[in-house]
Amino acid sequence: MLREVKILAKLSLANIYGLNTFRYSKDKKEKNRKRLLICAYVFLLLTAVLYVSALSIGLCTLGLSKILPAYLVGISSLIMVFFGFFKAGPVLFEKKGLDILKSLPVSETHIVISRFIRLYVENLFLGIIVLMPGVIVYGYMVKPGAEFYLVGFAAALFIPIIPLVIATFAGGLITYIASKVRHKSIISTILSLILVVCIFAGTSMISRVEGQLNDEMLQDMALIIEDVFSKVYPPALWMGNAMIGKGAADCLLCFFVSILIMTLTVWVVSRKFDEIVDGLSRSYSRGDYEIQSLESSSVLGTLYKKELKRYLASSIYVTNTIIGPVLGVVMSAAILIGGVDTFISDVPLPFDIEGVIPFVLAATFCMMPTTCTSISMEGKEWWIVKSLPISSKTVLDSKILFNLSLSLPMLMVAQCLMIIAFKPAGASLVWMILIPVLMLVFSCVWGIAVNLKIPVFNWENEVTVVKQSASAAIGGLGGAAIAIVLALISAFVPDELDTAVKAGICIVVAILTTMLYIRNNKVDLKTL
Amino acid sequence: MLQIANLTKHYGQSQKGITDLTLQVMPGDIFAFIGHNGAGKTTALKCVSGIHGFDEGEILVDGISMNDNPMECKRRFAYIPDNPDLYEYLTGIQYLNFVADVFQISAREREERIAAFAADFEITGALGDLISSYSHGMKQKLAIISALIHEPKLLILDEPFVGLDPKAAVILKNKMRDVCASGGAVFFSTHVLDVAEKLCNKVAIIKDGRMVITGDMNLIVKEGQSLEDIFMEVACDAERG
Repeated sequence: MLREVKILAKLSLANIYGLNTFRYSKDKKEKNRKRLLICAYVFLLLTAVLYVSALSIGLCTLGLSKILPAYLVGISSLIMVFFGFFKAGPVLFEKKGLDILKSLPVSETHIVISRFIRLYVENLFLGIIVLMPGVIVYGYMVKPGAEFYLVGFAAALFIPIIPLVIATFAGGLITYIASKVRHKSIISTILSLILVVCIFAGTSMISRVEGQLNDEMLQDMALIIEDVFSKVYPPALWMGNAMIGKGAADCLLCFFVSILIMTLTVWVVSRKFDEIVDGLSRSYSRGDYEIQSLESSSVLGTLYKKELKRYLASSIYVTNTIIGPVLGVVMSAAILIGGVDTFISDVPLPFDIEGVIPFVLAATFCMMPTTCTSISMEGKEWWIVKSLPISSKTVLDSKILFNLSLSLPMLMVAQCLMIIAFKPAGASLVWMILIPVLMLVFSCVWGIAVNLKIPVFNWENEVTVVKQSASAAIGGLGGAAIAIVLALISAFVPDELDTAVKAGICIVVAILTTMLYIRNNKVDLKTL
Repeated sequence: MLQIANLTKHYGQSQKGITDLTLQVMPGDIFAFIGHNGAGKTTALKCVSGIHGFDEGEILVDGISMNDNPMECKRRFAYIPDNPDLYEYLTGIQYLNFVADVFQISAREREERIAAFAADFEITGALGDLISSYSHGMKQKLAIISALIHEPKLLILDEPFVGLDPKAAVILKNKMRDVCASGGAVFFSTHVLDVAEKLCNKVAIIKDGRMVITGDMNLIVKEGQSLEDIFMEVACDAERG
């Protein structure tokens, strides 16, 4: 049993984060793409380290150091659930190469355990990124004994297990339901979106509890956070407390429970493995088609229709790219329903909130445009477009057009809600309409530019493109990051310069978009 | 119909690729392109069909330069790769309609052609199903229909017989002959030397990216010999030389 699992796990881990491809590929372009991806990962890692370090220093300075370990365990677990949810189904029930594996003398349980080991290692890595800076800050500021580090090390090994089980059941359940129906992608997308919105709603509820705290309640804050954790995710509290020398029994119980539920999960998944894999690969064919009248379209029109069908065929593609616009609309509706005054009192900021709302809207709608992965999503079918008489401009226009047709109507709804809520007049009304639209167009063109530079076509699983490619990281977050930077610039500009600065921003964004668009269209697709 | 002159294409710094390849496919030719695995056949076909760029040389399709006017070249030919990776999220009929839209074929013409080709290859009933549900052979048939739909002057095919059932293979051979009879040409790679010998009037053999022999089939394969004998002879000579 152990020997088989060891061999399969080695195979499963061989190309984790594309390391094997990077090591052995002789393709210079491929190597450069991987280098860029590593740079993007390092950037995200540094951002995470900075964020966790600042949070840890803040909590220690406020005298809340005793809650810090539990807080770190809680945050890392939440991140693991979020990322694991998207990966669990595709990794566990990956069909590619399964036929060869199943012809070898290994059981479903061996395969399932090896795939869980891969997910565990990825979660462990995520956990270390979050825990390590916090542990260093805690160690430096509180100076705990060796027990803290020993328990912390043990906890780090066990932290990934429960989030992995939660993600497996959430992701696996959606995969299981999808495997039973004909329209797998649509069902999977709807269920995934519901779950993601629930996670966001849940986390915003937790932060609301903290947001309502005032100075007088500071001394009770630790108790309140403990209360939130005990209700939402008790294992974070048990492990966190054990690290600071409290409740070792709870922690041991937590370790034991982790192993038990992991074993049960492996057992359940192994039993359902064949059924789910077969269900996912089952195709529904009728075989009774008769030639009917066919509609003709323009080249751009037919490419647009193809983009739409490609989009709707992938639940992870939809979930990843629609979440920004959905959150934008939900946020606008929440502000309208809750009232602007409540919103302003909930988010006390040292500047006029109305002035930065256009940029906030832009940031949500620029988050993860479809264009930053739409070229890569062509995958092994990229030869079709390249061998047909279609110009680069038409191909890229269809991708931009699709992105705009997806996001623009939702942006207009969000803008209407914001306009009703804030009632801007004059120039403010113009900025509320113009800035998000310009930024949205920019993010679409920017996404194409990045994806043209670093496309990935030889992927086996859509997760590789949508979640793990350099293009998704740089192209997806670039537009939102620029919107946030512009929001900060706009926030601290004196009132008398506000109109000039915003007009300047609009002109610069429009010029940059046009220049990028012209440059994109000059790229010869056969060089990709 | 197709002129390839001194075509050179290498991948990065490696020697892998093709070097100084020259050949000519005339109207009416069925031209077989033969070589070992990794000899450079697919690379050459991808350069000709505009999927890959190339380092040196010239490709002319019907007298038009692939470098200067790729759109016009692509309107004149159709390409089918060795592995028919088609849009799996479309149904067969949606894919054919997509290709017909790209070539701006009228609704009436596309209906007639699709109906005829689909009946020939016996996949009419499956055209309403998603391509993801197709077997390799059915995808190959669909790719062939999509290649024929705009009545190309030049067919560029990479291992077109792989995965086809015997009846479909016969139909494809007939379609290839039809293209040539109407003044077009076919340029295809294959490992099936018997088929190449019987079907083609011209042949080229490449090894390690370089042309080792090219010409009329009946001049290269003499009386009492087979293409297989010639291939083994030429390949071994090239290895010794």
